Amino acid sequence: MNDNLFKKSRRNDRIAEFLIKAGGILVIVAVVWILVMIARVAIPLFYASDAALTAAFKLPSRPALASPLAFGIDESGKEIYLLGRDGEFHFINTATGLPAGSLKTLSPDAGGGKSIVSVETSGKSGYNLLWSDGTITSAYLLFKAQDGQVSGTGIIHDLVPGEATFPATEGVIESMARMNGESGIRVDRLSLRKFRANWITVEKDILGNEKRSETGANLGADIRENVTAAVLDHAGHYLYLGNDKGELLRFDLSEPGAPKLLETVRVNNDKSPVTALNLASGDTTVVICDKKGNCNGWFPVTAPGAAEYKRLQLIHPLPPHDGSVTSIIASPRDRIVVSTDEKGVINIDHLTSEKRLLTLESGGSEVKLALSERGNMLCAIDESGNVKIWRMNLRHPEVTSGTLFSKIWYEGYDKPEHVWQSSSANDDYEPKLGLVPLIFGTLKATFFAMIFAVPLALLGALYTSQFISYRLKVRIKPAVEIMAAIPSVVIGFLGGLWLAPLLEKGLFPFFLSLIILPLLLFVAIFFYRAVKPSSRLGCMIRGREFLLIIPLILAGIWISHSAGTMIEARLFAGDFKQWLFNAHSIRYEQRNAFIIGIALGFAVIPIIFTIAEDALSNVPRNLSAASLALGASRWQTAWRVVLPSALPGVFSAIMIGFGRAVGETMIVLMATGNTPIISFSAFNGLRSLAANIAVEIPEAPLDSSLYRVLFLSAVLLFLFTFIINSAAEVLRQRFRKKYGRY
Amino acid sequence: MNSFIKTGEPQVFVCGTALALILVMTLTLAGVVLKNGLGYFWPRQLVQFEMKDGSRLLGEVRATERNQLTGAGQIQIKISNRDLYGQDFKWVSESDVASRSVPEEAILLERMEHGNFAGFLKKVEGEGVEYLRTGSAVKDLALAVEAVREKMKEVAAVRKKMISLNYKIEKRRREIQKLKFRDISANSAAISALEAEKEKLESEFNRINEESGRMEGEARRFYGLFADASGTEKEIALADIIRIQTPNSMSAPEKIGAYFERTRELLLDDPRESNTEGGLFPAIFGTIMMVLLMSCFSLPFGVIAAIYLREYAKEGIVTRMVGIAVNNLAGVPSIVYGIFGLGFFVYGIGGSIDRLFFPERLPTPTFGTGGILWSSLTLALLTVPVVIVATEESLASIPRGIREGSLALGATKFQTLIRLLLPMATPGIMTGMILSMARAAGEVAPLMIVGVVKLAPALPFDGNFPFFHMDRKFMHLGFHIFDVGFQSPNVEAAKPMVYITTLLLLAIVAASGSMAIYLRNRMRKKYTTSHF
Repeated sequence: MNDNLFKKSRRNDRIAEFLIKAGGILVIVAVVWILVMIARVAIPLFYASDAALTAAFKLPSRPALASPLAFGIDESGKEIYLLGRDGEFHFINTATGLPAGSLKTLSPDAGGGKSIVSVETSGKSGYNLLWSDGTITSAYLLFKAQDGQVSGTGIIHDLVPGEATFPATEGVIESMARMNGESGIRVDRLSLRKFRANWITVEKDILGNEKRSETGANLGADIRENVTAAVLDHAGHYLYLGNDKGELLRFDLSEPGAPKLLETVRVNNDKSPVTALNLASGDTTVVICDKKGNCNGWFPVTAPGAAEYKRLQLIHPLPPHDGSVTSIIASPRDRIVVSTDEKGVINIDHLTSEKRLLTLESGGSEVKLALSERGNMLCAIDESGNVKIWRMNLRHPEVTSGTLFSKIWYEGYDKPEHVWQSSSANDDYEPKLGLVPLIFGTLKATFFAMIFAVPLALLGALYTSQFISYRLKVRIKPAVEIMAAIPSVVIGFLGGLWLAPLLEKGLFPFFLSLIILPLLLFVAIFFYRAVKPSSRLGCMIRGREFLLIIPLILAGIWISHSAGTMIEARLFAGDFKQWLFNAHSIRYEQRNAFIIGIALGFAVIPIIFTIAEDALSNVPRNLSAASLALGASRWQTAWRVVLPSALPGVFSAIMIGFGRAVGETMIVLMATGNTPIISFSAFNGLRSLAANIAVEIPEAPLDSSLYRVLFLSAVLLFLFTFIINSAAEVLRQRFRKKYGRY
Repeated sequence: MNSFIKTGEPQVFVCGTALALILVMTLTLAGVVLKNGLGYFWPRQLVQFEMKDGSRLLGEVRATERNQLTGAGQIQIKISNRDLYGQDFKWVSESDVASRSVPEEAILLERMEHGNFAGFLKKVEGEGVEYLRTGSAVKDLALAVEAVREKMKEVAAVRKKMISLNYKIEKRRREIQKLKFRDISANSAAISALEAEKEKLESEFNRINEESGRMEGEARRFYGLFADASGTEKEIALADIIRIQTPNSMSAPEKIGAYFERTRELLLDDPRESNTEGGLFPAIFGTIMMVLLMSCFSLPFGVIAAIYLREYAKEGIVTRMVGIAVNNLAGVPSIVYGIFGLGFFVYGIGGSIDRLFFPERLPTPTFGTGGILWSSLTLALLTVPVVIVATEESLASIPRGIREGSLALGATKFQTLIRLLLPMATPGIMTGMILSMARAAGEVAPLMIVGVVKLAPALPFDGNFPFFHMDRKFMHLGFHIFDVGFQSPNVEAAKPMVYITTLLLLAIVAASGSMAIYLRNRMRKKYTTSHF
């Protein structure tokens, strides 16, 4: 039986040892796991784009399909369509390369055997067709998944006729048109240097009668060179013309009947002809390509010379092609442009980040391009009818280390800036994911918190460990520990909804108290000097000084409140904030870095206090006893003997407090305005990395760029605090080793 | 003076000032929360203001302010009657007030919606409900409201039945969905049986629904006619009245009674008016359940890890690094845990569970969205270091002699651990657990990401099988503070509720913190005798 017991307990011991070791190691693995898991979500941000060739075939030899006027591809990549000169959309199955039906567009009138002269693509899948008699009709092609099922096998295409047609005009080679309800504009090309704009306007008079009028104007006088490329923006307000002398002309067509040449810019130095033009999504950036292979993004900015309107400027130079660029198209969803040159090389670039995402070889020449609506499928057709289709996986083209951490010149801005703006009400916005304003905000909040908390916490800890009477010490320490347990949401709430309005009202008294409190302290010290340390009063005060000071502080606050409001009324007309704004143009926001300094400081004080106090108390008693025995005063002992010995511990306390302030979320979320701006003013709001995650993650779709960038900022926070805390821990362990054996 | 500075006494004073400032700030915080939190439930006088322009206002005086420049005073009055005036508060300048009075018969009603009503009672009307008629109008009103409330209780009981029925219908619906998803033809018999059951339940549901509607309509026929200070009449259904007070004629014991009644409501009732009125019960329940669930995960793992580190792991670089890692884990920002919980628990594990076990419900997530389980797991991860550190410390404080004595007597390591070390370390482990619970109760940032909502439709624990609903979202006191204080449309009216919630949360945290400190101190005392 005894033997059994031994065996049993040994077995238990072994099992327990195994389990405990496994459990222990599991916890350690968990630490690493956290970092790995967050990083795993963030890392795909930096994966390179790739593209897979999904189909390559030759167009069926039919007259209608030879040299199509326009073509496109659906987003599943199952069909392409070509618009022939007969005015029909011909669909071709990409798997087989065989025709899969066709749809006839509405020709202006049924008979007459008219054909299409040219086609302009506008918007996602809208086409403006110019017929041989000069009429323009428009058509939209729709793709739907069959049966409404998401994973349906087939697709349905549908043709929606455009809103209006433009009547016939003579002698048009090419034309562009935009309709908005009943009114609209068409821009016709009559010859190499001759353009004409026609407006249809509908005006309602007081009785509600509609009056339709047509006005036309020639643009010819302003065009002195051969125009090689033209593009009209989505609203029909601006016309861009590129010529063979390397110039770009920008016309304002928003006033019917009065076209205006806004400017002529030289797009390159060697007068190399402009070969292709297009507008990127957002409709403001024009991408200009020339014969030398350069492709650059331009948009209008307010010039330093303060002109009355904005002027085009080269903003985003893209990596150049080797040869003359023949065609460029823009993705309708984001800032991606796809261009091809005479050698058939296709480049895919991101405008804002100026990054080359992909280079594809089409193998042919005179290549024409089309992108699907979602921008995921690319179709290229060369002059001999060879079709190539790629499925592109561009991942997160708008995020590079450059866009995250350096100044970026976003569309609509007058200079490169650090911007965080993940979403906006506007439809064709581009997400601006610059982390710098957030990192700045984090450091700003931490800085203000630390300058508030560190002196208070350290001096308080020094007092508690060295000077206070023992009986008070055992009460103060738990009080501070409980203060550490105050939930941050409580501090944030009081900071945002109690302190912020209070300080806004009593800003001047607050500043006054910064003068009055030290003054009062000075007076108190002066009187204290008269008290002999050995007297009964002296003994009573010794070790309890702070109890004396508490009423002093309350008195100081009362004095500065009543005096402050009085002085404010006299000197600043009762409104110190207004005076600040008028005299120094300092704007005071209610929730600002100042409030954060106090609230966040309040949260880190107990952390710094506790660790520093521990470190100071752990300095061996015999050191201070020896110092006191040699005749040093209690302050001299504390300052010259105890503090230097405990310095590593004190330093680690500050670092741990720093780490805590960096990662604090709720206080910063509640007590700042959460405005991601870079401003050094203490009276402005801020947004920190941690608060930003809390604000944005509920809105971030799974695996989107925003989602991953938020995870990246979590990785940054993790690493930052990990390094700081590790350093602090190493310091503390060293300190412990030094004094641990007393 | 110079020599005085050299002795350093002024510097000591400065240090003392720092401590004094810290204490003053802490006490201010506690004071502000206590003052605003405790005072709100106390019935306050309804003051009637006769303005110089002839209009009248009735309400509680909330604040007075004096303009330093002009000396003009301003009074903030809580005028209530949001449905009549469109606002709860009004600032009037003292110079506009002609006279003030405290009308005895002024009445304050707490209503289901539109906030409070302050005014005067005109009459009570309606038929079908029996109640005693006394001479006093206010007493009549109270009795009538009581009688109507009895009726409404019946309605509530029926409603409860409806919720349970609804749950059953939903269950059948999901069962059908599941069977259809698996194989529609093979399970056709089972499906049609379920469909029949579901239909039966639905018809039952509709019947009860109609009945409850009829009952409620009956109760709602009773109404009181009231008038505000300026005489505008307002009919209020008695069913909408929650509490009647005549604060101007209440005696002190009555006021104390009212105070406790409000406190009871706070702790045990559901919130009303988008959380700005009523009780906190779901939030309290959610917080407690989440914290307990979290302890189930963090306590065993924390203790085991601490035992490993202290008793089993060999001293060396690895152990030291692990120690650093654990300490570090405590310093990682809580929002990072939140985002980890979202990526790993919610989308990772939760998404996989959904794909494996509930494919028929997709794309509606079951576990692949925030819930109480994921919240507790996330917080367990966050608080494990607290448990580890506390357990390690308490194990370290046990004198070596005890271990050596036990091993020398022939006990195995495990026996020593179970019989001696763990019992001795229990107060320390308790300390760690309590501290971790306090931390979890106050933590909001990660919860916002992994499962807290402003208003949960159902508690995560109820009478329907399987009783614990781990996939449900829940409410939390800390988030309540953030949500009501910062995201409610009427922040000024919501503030008292936020202060009360804050007070409650602070009380919980401070109480558990004090308990932990007390336990720790007791343990220290116990073992310091063996140190020489």
